[in-house]
Amino acid sequence: MNPLIFTTILMTVLLGTMIVMMSSHWLMIWIGFEMNLLAIIPILMKKYNPRTMEASTKYFLTQATASMLLMMAIIINLMHSGQWTIMKVFNPTASIIMTSALAMKLGLTPFHFWVPEVTQGISLTSGLILLTWQKLAPMSILYQISPSINLNILLTMAVLSILVGGWGGLNQTQLRKIMAYSSIAHMGWMTAVLAYNPTLTMLNMLIYIMMTLTMFMLFIHSSSTTTLSLSHTWNKTPLTTTLILITLLSMGGLPPLSGFMPKWMIIQELTKNSSIILPTLMAIMALLNLYFYMRLTYSTSLTMFPSTNNMKMKWQFETKRITLLPPLIVMSSLLLPLTPMLSILD
Amino acid sequence: MMTYIVFILSVIFVVSFVGFSSKPSPIYGGLVLIVSGGVGCGIIMNFGGSFLGLMVFLIYLGGMLVVFGYTTAMATEQYPEVWVSNTTVMGVFLLGLLMEVMLVLYVLKSEEVGVVFKFSGVGDWAIYDTGDSGVFSEEIMGVAALYSYGAWVVIMTGWSLFVGVLVILEVTRGD
Repeated sequence: MNPLIFTTILMTVLLGTMIVMMSSHWLMIWIGFEMNLLAIIPILMKKYNPRTMEASTKYFLTQATASMLLMMAIIINLMHSGQWTIMKVFNPTASIIMTSALAMKLGLTPFHFWVPEVTQGISLTSGLILLTWQKLAPMSILYQISPSINLNILLTMAVLSILVGGWGGLNQTQLRKIMAYSSIAHMGWMTAVLAYNPTLTMLNMLIYIMMTLTMFMLFIHSSSTTTLSLSHTWNKTPLTTTLILITLLSMGGLPPLSGFMPKWMIIQELTKNSSIILPTLMAIMALLNLYFYMRLTYSTSLTMFPSTNNMKMKWQFETKRITLLPPLIVMSSLLLPLTPMLSILD
Repeated sequence: MMTYIVFILSVIFVVSFVGFSSKPSPIYGGLVLIVSGGVGCGIIMNFGGSFLGLMVFLIYLGGMLVVFGYTTAMATEQYPEVWVSNTTVMGVFLLGLLMEVMLVLYVLKSEEVGVVFKFSGVGDWAIYDTGDSGVFSEEIMGVAALYSYGAWVVIMTGWSLFVGVLVILEVTRGD
């Protein structure tokens, strides 16, 4: 793509999310979402093969439907409250419709079906932008309307997302699909605590973005998109196998790595509000997630995965230089002692 | 009949939306869009917005829909689907029509209707005043406000349209 046009389109994606996060008028938020959607389509379609085109079409259709639902909720809110300011949504119908629309944008169950298919069809870098940056805008709106969200619907979607994210990722060998299901599960954790303490949603979002960025960059660095291809990194750059191990265990939520921090805080917040069964279920279903992360680490860093001798040498052009990778790896594994700092997120 | 003209136009609006969302070939969808655009213009004009109605005809129908019609004519197939050619399309169309007829009968018969909003029968659709304050027309003031207080909205929508063109060119460029 022409670099000037690529820069413009990328800046428009950023601008769309910024408008969503900064606006106080519902119409501007909708305009921000549409601008974001429109500008990310050519980024998803960077390579011109039928798979990327199908993936971007699926993404466009689901996100456009979600924007339409959001507009309907905005108008119902306008009719019942007479104003366009962003605050909690007063009418229950509008609140439910808006929650469904934002859940479609985030990829929460039962609207999660597009996430693995779209993530699989696009390149690794586009998948990175899709799974991290695109989650910021809907989550900021959910944060702002959190006092008025119907708790039953929210918790049902959250628990089902954790279940689907864990269960669906079990049979996958394609790394992008694994990351997609991991994203669904993490979104479930984030929305579960939204009604109780939205600060923890933001904390979970922060740590999730750091870990997902790290994972994707490690994949880009070894240019691997399948488990088999990832298992050859011991031959190319042995250091990254250790780093993949640490980051994946952090994503699984194991102490003493930073991925444990959001899960710990969320479970603590939920039990403070006298719901015991729910965090127990969520913690148990997170084990499904941990299982397929551990399977990845097993085949990558803990064993030499069986392959024929001529496949052991990995053919790659010159090594990509990813400047941000070391700080990200450090941040996604060593942040747990900084937990008291989360008060700055208020 | 003139008292309830907005109600009648709204019903025709919904029926034409059902017509194109039952997905016949895009040519016929465009045909029904013309009808719905004209009817929508009529609804706006009944509320006193003559300028906006004219804009709908000129820009929407005369600009965007014409371009859509040309591009669809270039990409059309030999036997485009009509509403009666495919059982599925006809079924969806009839289903939508049936639901609209039931809704209209519900509105006409009962005193108060509460679907998402509460309104009391057909009377709520009759227009008693056009919203003018008597001295100036509200609708032209709205357009003026868009360009003065709403300058940011104009900038944002203008940028979105510009990026839309860039995106379309990029997507259709191919390799």
